[in-house]
Amino acid sequence: MDRGAGDAAGRDKAGGAIGVDLDGLNSLAVRTAEALKVDDAVALSTRIAESMVRFADNSATVANRVDEAELTVYLAKAGRRAIASTSNLSPAAVKSFVKELYASMRGLPEAEYAPLPDAGTRFSQSGGVDKKLEGAEEILPELAKAAIDSSLAAGGERSAGAISAWKATVAILTTSGAKGADSRTAITLNIRSFGEGDASGHGLSCSSTLRGFDPEEAGRRAGEGARGMRQAAEPEAGKYEVLLGPTVASNLIETVAGAASAFSVDAGTSCLAGKLGEEVAAPSFNLTDHGVIEGGFGGRAFDDEGSRTRATKIIDGGVLRGYLHNLTTAKKWRSETTGNAGLIAPHPWNLEVGSGDSSYEEMVKEMKRGIVLTSNWYTRFNNYRTGEFSTVPRDGAYLVEGGKVVGPLKGMRAGDDQQRLLSSVRLLSKEREWVQWWEVDTPTLCPWILVDGVSITRAYG
Amino acid sequence: MRVQESRDLAEAGVSAALKAGASYAEARVQATWEREFGLKNGEPQPSVFVEGYGIGIRVIAGGALGFAATNAMRRKSVREVAAKAVRLAKASGGMLRRPVVFDSAKSARTSWAAPETEKIESADSAWLKEVLTDIDGRVADGRAGVKLTGRIFYLSAELQERYFVNSDGARVAGRVPRVSFGGSLTAVEAGSAAQRFIQQGETGGLEVVKRLGLVEKVVEQTEAMGRVLKASAKPPREEVDVVLGPELSGIAAHESVGHPQEADRVLGREGAQAGESYLRPDSLGMKIGSDEANVSDDPTLLHSNGYVPVDDEGVAAKKRSLIKGGIINEFLQNRATARQFGVESNGAARAVAFDREPIIRMANTFVEPGDYSTEEIFKEVKHGVYFKSFTEWNIDDKRLNQRYVGLEAYLIDHGELKGLVRSPVLEITTPKLWGSVKARSRHMEFEAATCGKGDPMQGAPVWTGGPETLLAGIRLGAR
Repeated sequence: MDRGAGDAAGRDKAGGAIGVDLDGLNSLAVRTAEALKVDDAVALSTRIAESMVRFADNSATVANRVDEAELTVYLAKAGRRAIASTSNLSPAAVKSFVKELYASMRGLPEAEYAPLPDAGTRFSQSGGVDKKLEGAEEILPELAKAAIDSSLAAGGERSAGAISAWKATVAILTTSGAKGADSRTAITLNIRSFGEGDASGHGLSCSSTLRGFDPEEAGRRAGEGARGMRQAAEPEAGKYEVLLGPTVASNLIETVAGAASAFSVDAGTSCLAGKLGEEVAAPSFNLTDHGVIEGGFGGRAFDDEGSRTRATKIIDGGVLRGYLHNLTTAKKWRSETTGNAGLIAPHPWNLEVGSGDSSYEEMVKEMKRGIVLTSNWYTRFNNYRTGEFSTVPRDGAYLVEGGKVVGPLKGMRAGDDQQRLLSSVRLLSKEREWVQWWEVDTPTLCPWILVDGVSITRAYG
Repeated sequence: MRVQESRDLAEAGVSAALKAGASYAEARVQATWEREFGLKNGEPQPSVFVEGYGIGIRVIAGGALGFAATNAMRRKSVREVAAKAVRLAKASGGMLRRPVVFDSAKSARTSWAAPETEKIESADSAWLKEVLTDIDGRVADGRAGVKLTGRIFYLSAELQERYFVNSDGARVAGRVPRVSFGGSLTAVEAGSAAQRFIQQGETGGLEVVKRLGLVEKVVEQTEAMGRVLKASAKPPREEVDVVLGPELSGIAAHESVGHPQEADRVLGREGAQAGESYLRPDSLGMKIGSDEANVSDDPTLLHSNGYVPVDDEGVAAKKRSLIKGGIINEFLQNRATARQFGVESNGAARAVAFDREPIIRMANTFVEPGDYSTEEIFKEVKHGVYFKSFTEWNIDDKRLNQRYVGLEAYLIDHGELKGLVRSPVLEITTPKLWGSVKARSRHMEFEAATCGKGDPMQGAPVWTGGPETLLAGIRLGAR
């Protein structure tokens, strides 16, 4: 019987809940691949320790803890490419895994691909670890309780949510000489509070450090939403100015970043196809992807091909400046990798929407007849090529008339297309927040965004 | 795979958890084996090969639920994980208002396997490539009557094996082979764009491709894209009758019946993520639909994408009659919610991987068939719209306000299908939708889907399906 990952215990310089020597794993995988005379090989080893406490009705529902390690291997030989991941990490298993992967490539057709550049890059840890978050599982219940108590004080009656802390380490080794490791920590809280009737409010706190984490503020927002949404009315269907809170805006912006992946453009699932160099948003709108950014916890110093990650301007002054590339898409587009591999599809790491110069209050004052949205879910597309979508607002939503919030709203749906929405951006706030939660995978630093002409509809019946 | 060899580890995990102070403990060794291949615009993508293997241990300690998982599959690590689950559960006790208690459901001691004819493990890169190349070759370069500007196809063969043991005496070994297909088709002609996503899948071996008629289905869907691009008629603005094809019946059953009738949502456990429900614990027996509204969830359907005859709490699963004659009849239950409702679990707990806790999931949710033939359903309609397929859809988090945008949709005039309608929008409340059901055909079809729920997210394979369902007196919107 194979004894698995624990065999490497004791050789882990970095420590961690699973004692696996990530560099040793990578070295073994690449050496095995080289012996098979592959053209290119990448070994990416990952170790993650994540703790989570979930709660509902102000009570703990489950405490979760996952300690895992995984090895991903990429092989290329004569235009044939294969990717594989395994959690069976004993030396014997890794060797046979790489050999099996190589053997499986015989049945594949040849395809256009870009070889790994002979870079020989060495990556060193670039920060991103808060030691206070290692072993944070013991303090998660009290942090969750602080959020719940804060919500109760602000008017919430019962709260549900999840608080999660994790540390992830990724190590890379390629046959082209890229080598290094990167560790990150983060702590996130998603709290939703409920009050009378259908009233509900939402709060988030996301941080790469414990010091930047504020459960009380998230709880307060959720509680205030639950209080403020009492006796909400359904709006008339029609076109509205909409003030998108950072949580809502991040959800929609993530879909735009997805459309900027060169894979999506090639596949016909991008509204940004054929628009390089064109105006796709209002001049005040800027969107950048960062491999590593202060406060961000979604990226790392290198991508899955061993290229250095960087800041990539996607939309600059409203103009589409570039797509996100890996080596293969870059070759096809006669461009350069942007360090966003994804061995199959390039993807964003940490998104940043440029700030404006307005306060929230100033933005509300600018609205004649509009709606403030603080949370949403279930964004789905009628057509990714045209960018037509709809999304369902939830929690705090408020009608604004003559520059004043006049009452809470519920039971609506917002629909638009991505480019029209971006082109209608009027104002952006100075203040920005990091957003990552159930509906936003990519950590996004995002302001409040005021847009025009959004379709609001209601259900029949 | 090595699941069967790890039974002793699972037993050791349960013993260690009990020794550490758990009043209940379970361990699940789960292994995933997957081979996948894709074509983008005919270009081969890197093949993908996944092997996952580990153990998840769930406990009740001090009245609180704890779950810990690892892929360090050795006895010492498993004991540590078990102790950690107990410690975390106890640590969360300070914010526990109600202790978690399981029902007394009978613990299964069995071994089960989804039937397969051609072993899933024989799916290699060459086979995956051959199937997709055949499909792509039938629709590329306008061969199916429409030029596709973008096309992505993926085919995967997957095997999930698990061994479950708990301190109540359950011992369950399960094996689920599955074949899944995904496709994205984009067509742009004369300034008009249409897009179609196809998902098909069943449990079983390589025979699934033929059983599904996969190649023919993709060709048929591509041909439909050509027709859709030419659609220009706007949907009627007046009230009309609507016929939901099986695809629409299925998604409506899943979204506005299955989800709100998950007992954990009714009790608020998913409140901050997938949301709660418009139903309350005392809503059983409430009339929500017409007498013709009958919706069920059945994990025991052979070959189905959501085939799970024994759930991940060691409880034999059974068919659940969710809405019967328009009445809320039954919720989907696990052992903890069943205890709160004073019923027995109906075996709805599933975990998609070793590192995920089992939560309440749908399996195969569908509108029950009726007595009409498909032709008779259409003959019932003087003026209406037939939704054969859909694109955009969503629903609010209480599951009351849903929207389905038709892709292939036709006007119905005195029982006859006439021309195509462009993007009709069915945006409707749950009581109105199910209260409008007038008739159902006996023709059933199912679609594969991946249902998202939980935190961390768990994408569970399911089927959605049903017959042609006739809704009377509906007002449609337009995109």
